Amino acid sequence: MLGYIWQYVYTSFLRYWLKWLIRHATGTCELQRICSGYKPGATRTTKAEYSLQSSKNKVLREALETRKDNLEQCVDQIMREKDIKPQKNPQFKENLHICLLQITGYSSLFISVEDMRKEVFNSENPEHEAMLLKLWDLLMPTVTLESRITKQWGDIGFQGDDPKTDFRGMGMLGLINLVFFSENYTKEARQVLSHANHPKLGYSYAIVGINLTEMAYSLMKSGALKPHFYNTVLGTPELRHFHQLYCYLAYEFDKFWVEEEPESIMHFNQYREKFHNIVKTHLQDPAVSLVLKTNMDK
Amino acid sequence: MGLLTILKKMKQKEREMRLLMLGLDNAGKTTILKKFNGEDVSTISPTLGFNIKTLEHKGFKLNIWDVGGQKSLRSYWRNYFESTDGLVWVVDSADRLRLEDCRKELSALLLEERLAGATLLVFANKQDLPGALSKEAIREALVLDEIKSHHWCIIGCSAVSGENLLAGVDWLLDDIAARIFTAD
Repeated sequence: MLGYIWQYVYTSFLRYWLKWLIRHATGTCELQRICSGYKPGATRTTKAEYSLQSSKNKVLREALETRKDNLEQCVDQIMREKDIKPQKNPQFKENLHICLLQITGYSSLFISVEDMRKEVFNSENPEHEAMLLKLWDLLMPTVTLESRITKQWGDIGFQGDDPKTDFRGMGMLGLINLVFFSENYTKEARQVLSHANHPKLGYSYAIVGINLTEMAYSLMKSGALKPHFYNTVLGTPELRHFHQLYCYLAYEFDKFWVEEEPESIMHFNQYREKFHNIVKTHLQDPAVSLVLKTNMDK
Repeated sequence: MGLLTILKKMKQKEREMRLLMLGLDNAGKTTILKKFNGEDVSTISPTLGFNIKTLEHKGFKLNIWDVGGQKSLRSYWRNYFESTDGLVWVVDSADRLRLEDCRKELSALLLEERLAGATLLVFANKQDLPGALSKEAIREALVLDEIKSHHWCIIGCSAVSGENLLAGVDWLLDDIAARIFTAD
């Protein structure tokens, strides 16, 4: 309770008085101090985001909703508002620009992810079908698919004879993530698949993948992935960065599962939750970077 | 604590029910569970293992078990039979090709000794889809009229819209309550 009162008093009054005091003592505004005082990445960008959000100045608050192409002008406008001289602060413009690209980029990336998720897998769409067959070829290069509807799909961890119903709420996002992992980390994906097909410790490769897409999606939606993207992409994050994050989850979940040796697949949700918590703990670290490190990198 | 409160507490504890929700994969079990619980149903992915939800409804405490329906998981269904009061069998009414599969799985379940005392509710789900069979057609395809071993009822529903979910669960609770709580 006391904490709440303190927080209220601090954010409504003390913060402004303190900012005003420091501003007059040092001659720099909060954004300047953030951009010069912290390393680029999550620490700087998160602080800049908070500063802009809680600003009383409309120009600063609206910067968070500005389109990518207008961001440079927006930074100029902020510098005028805050009376920041480019000559005295040569780095400021560039630094704040990057912060804003990251902050607004996260929101627009979520919109793209959401659009992809809402695109339902459709058997009548040749592109969708081609992508599904590509997934098979990438994972099972030596085995030909006997027909489009076949029990063989079970070998890469779909539920039945036709994978189309397995994408469900994750739509094309689920399939594209699976293909991206198999295409860009082919060796790792096949290694994960071989673990998944283990007679005792196995799990359904594709279905688990779709579940992990859901995990990535919900982390994205809640904003939990911000520090990760702020640290790993110094600019606007794109869809491929989201797919990269999925690759990290797919690879790490497999390692986790193999180490934990669950009794059976029936305990999946319990282990999923445990893994989810590990990921969320990583995301609490300001230096977080959830990048897939393969054995070859070491 | 008086005797009355103790009795009341015992009674309350008794008013717990265990419902087991089964059916083929993609029947809509998890969607039904989430919709019934008022959660978002737009981002569901296939169930591996099971989900369990405890919720209060009409003064009963319901423990609902939703177990994955894919073929490789069906051998695990038996692990969830113990002390089941109600079996909810969920059917994808638009999946005509697998209705025979669906019938076989259900009739095998009804032979299980540990489910002998359970009330059966069949949800003919996905009535919102244009190709969906009516609940009468599902009743026929699953030969429900032959069932003499269990109290049963079939209800057409849509998990996505939530239509008739309440009606189904209410019927199930009334039937179970009539069997186990008013017997004494």
